[in-house]
Amino acid sequence: MRRAMVASMLAVAIAATAGACGGGASQKSTNGSKEIEVLYKTSPTWPYMDRVLKQAKTQYEAAHKGVTIKLTAVQGENEVYYTKLALLNRSADSAPDVYLHDTFQVNADVAAGKLAPLDDYLKSWADWGSQYPDSVKQAAKGPDGKIYGVPISTDTRGLWYNKDVFAKAGIQVPWQPKTWADVLTAARAIKQKVPDAIPFNIYSTKPLGETATMQGFEMLLYGTPGGTLYDDTQKKWVASSKGITDSLSFINTIYRENLGPKQADAFNPKLGDKVSGEWLPSGKLGIDLDGAWTSSAWKPTGTKPWPQWTEKIGWTPMPTQNGEAPGAVSMSGGWVMAMSSYAKDKKDSFDFISVVTNKENTLTYSVGSGDLAPRKDVAADPQYTAGNPAVKFWTDLASVTHYRPAYEVYPKVSAEVQKAMEAMTTGAKTPDAAAKEYADALVGVVGGPDKVTSGS
Amino acid sequence: MTVSTVTPPRLAGSPGRGEPRRRARTTLRRLLPLVPALILLVVFMAGPILWSVYIAFTNETLTGSASVNSRFVGVDNFVKMFGDEDFRNSLLLTFVFVVGSAVVGQNTLGLIIALLQRGRGRVVRSVVNGVVIAAWVVPEVVAAACWFSFLSEEGTLNEVLGAIGLSQDWLFTAPMIAIILANVWRGTAFSMLVYSAALSDVPGELLEAAAVDGATTWRRLVHVTLPLIRRSILSNLMLITLQTLASFGLIYALTGGGPGTASQTTPLYMYEQAFRYFEIGYGSAMALVMLVIGAVFSLVYLRLIKVDG
Repeated sequence: MRRAMVASMLAVAIAATAGACGGGASQKSTNGSKEIEVLYKTSPTWPYMDRVLKQAKTQYEAAHKGVTIKLTAVQGENEVYYTKLALLNRSADSAPDVYLHDTFQVNADVAAGKLAPLDDYLKSWADWGSQYPDSVKQAAKGPDGKIYGVPISTDTRGLWYNKDVFAKAGIQVPWQPKTWADVLTAARAIKQKVPDAIPFNIYSTKPLGETATMQGFEMLLYGTPGGTLYDDTQKKWVASSKGITDSLSFINTIYRENLGPKQADAFNPKLGDKVSGEWLPSGKLGIDLDGAWTSSAWKPTGTKPWPQWTEKIGWTPMPTQNGEAPGAVSMSGGWVMAMSSYAKDKKDSFDFISVVTNKENTLTYSVGSGDLAPRKDVAADPQYTAGNPAVKFWTDLASVTHYRPAYEVYPKVSAEVQKAMEAMTTGAKTPDAAAKEYADALVGVVGGPDKVTSGS
Repeated sequence: MTVSTVTPPRLAGSPGRGEPRRRARTTLRRLLPLVPALILLVVFMAGPILWSVYIAFTNETLTGSASVNSRFVGVDNFVKMFGDEDFRNSLLLTFVFVVGSAVVGQNTLGLIIALLQRGRGRVVRSVVNGVVIAAWVVPEVVAAACWFSFLSEEGTLNEVLGAIGLSQDWLFTAPMIAIILANVWRGTAFSMLVYSAALSDVPGELLEAAAVDGATTWRRLVHVTLPLIRRSILSNLMLITLQTLASFGLIYALTGGGPGTASQTTPLYMYEQAFRYFEIGYGSAMALVMLVIGAVFSLVYLRLIKVDG
């Protein structure tokens, strides 16, 4: 039993005792100097935030004598980071003062009282008024209308394709699919004529987490007529709709016709690294439904430098189901720098956030990560567009983009979506059965039958 | 590693019948030095355990509004649990995993290795022991990494089997078999050590006498050796059952519970609910159920040991 409860007991024990014993490391004031702890994620294939924060630490400490920035990196994928952050946030003593936060988690943390509103500080920060477009400012807006984070990145999603594979399959480039059927036709042609390439990649399993929900399912659903997870006018979650069933059917078709990755790859949490690091550069993948940042791996400073990518790779919007207006669909999310409500030196903490998100650092981050820049001055900077002919295309997708209904229960809704998608991937259920199961589960997840509706 | 005998703890010195007061004072004096340790144990062990029992009856989450206004929900978590198809599936898989890897796998293999080693030369014993125990000594995650590289698509097994056209992605096509094999490989050493110790207590004369009476090797094993080491068998079964029931790291690192929920045993499901979907109350409720299952198993085994003794 002792190796045991590893999972729950250990963390439970930590959470319970940390409060009582004050085990936290932050906020130690030794001889009058202050320390601000900053939590963020990093990984060998995603070192960009690490670089930026180290740069910001140097700048900040030079200007603020007596304040030390303590950088705490979490190694691993997004899912690991969310868990780690949630556990550290359990107690005021262990909570970091400033952290990198995924916008879709913001509302849950606002509801839990973990985040500090930034409005008072933003008022006196000129950049906020002059450099951030209004749409971007909403990224971390709480239900109370207050702002809980300064955006460091935003993104859009669409289709990447390998032109060599397309040439072998006899598909004309530039490729401009108008409907889902066009996408399937191209994938089938690749399967037939280029047997050693995977025709189409869509993220569709639980190990991929939110990536699957957003890059996979939502890119389909929001392209169906009236397709949405949440009905804004009725203020209810959509439990069942033709769009939901059709989106699941699309994924089902991909896997039943063997147009997608092999099952084992579909369940690999590092599938994204495989796609950008191996498959697309080596012509093992035809079409990839993915984010704007995919090409960042191929930069000279990336994890898989590939200068020829600008000629070998094409990009095009993900079409709507039957070409309905506006003809294309995209989803946007992004990350913000947020401040903990437990932070002792809130003014200093915000000052650090404003250094991290200043022009120079945002530029470093955007150029490195390939994420779209939230700041106007960065977007206009020649360095930002240099070497990436696709960046304008991805930025322009903002005109057709959708945002997730990032309410407090969204992460749980997202988990149910992943379950349904996964059943399509394995073929365990029919699209109708999985859609029905989603509808049934949703009621419990969002808190009762009065909070759901059925769409068209 | 002495697990073959379970003797109840006995206080040194026999208490005199007529002096309960003095006895109480002596006990108190003996307990006094233990007080600091006891307090620490209460704070660091009992506290968290009691807290996790408590939150099993609440709707506590790691974040969101329920984390600030968590309330007592009675047995809601348990009702939800038994209506949860994934949870029932996880219990079934846990059962298969425990029976397959501990009760059958580790236990039998450990006994066989111990039996085969009897009467062999020192060199043979050292080499076999060394090899078997090495698997036990490596950390769980390292063991999982070894098995991953052996079974994965471009792994050693497929390289060999590819020659005869049998290669496939084992972790995907047969995840339960993969984790059972890995756990047998890793845990056999423990059973082997227990049985080696137990077998060394079996008197050689008895076996010789049985042989003289014309008993075959098999009959000697079934009628002489096994009855003599029965208590060790039960103790061993109890320990490995409890260990395997809660096994997490190996499965997590090897298959992550997947594909889908194909190898998601209850500890993995518990982890997913508690730390991935932040339902710490629900996760704790599951931990409690696991605790009860473990306790029932131990009681049954302990009972059997007692009856036997």
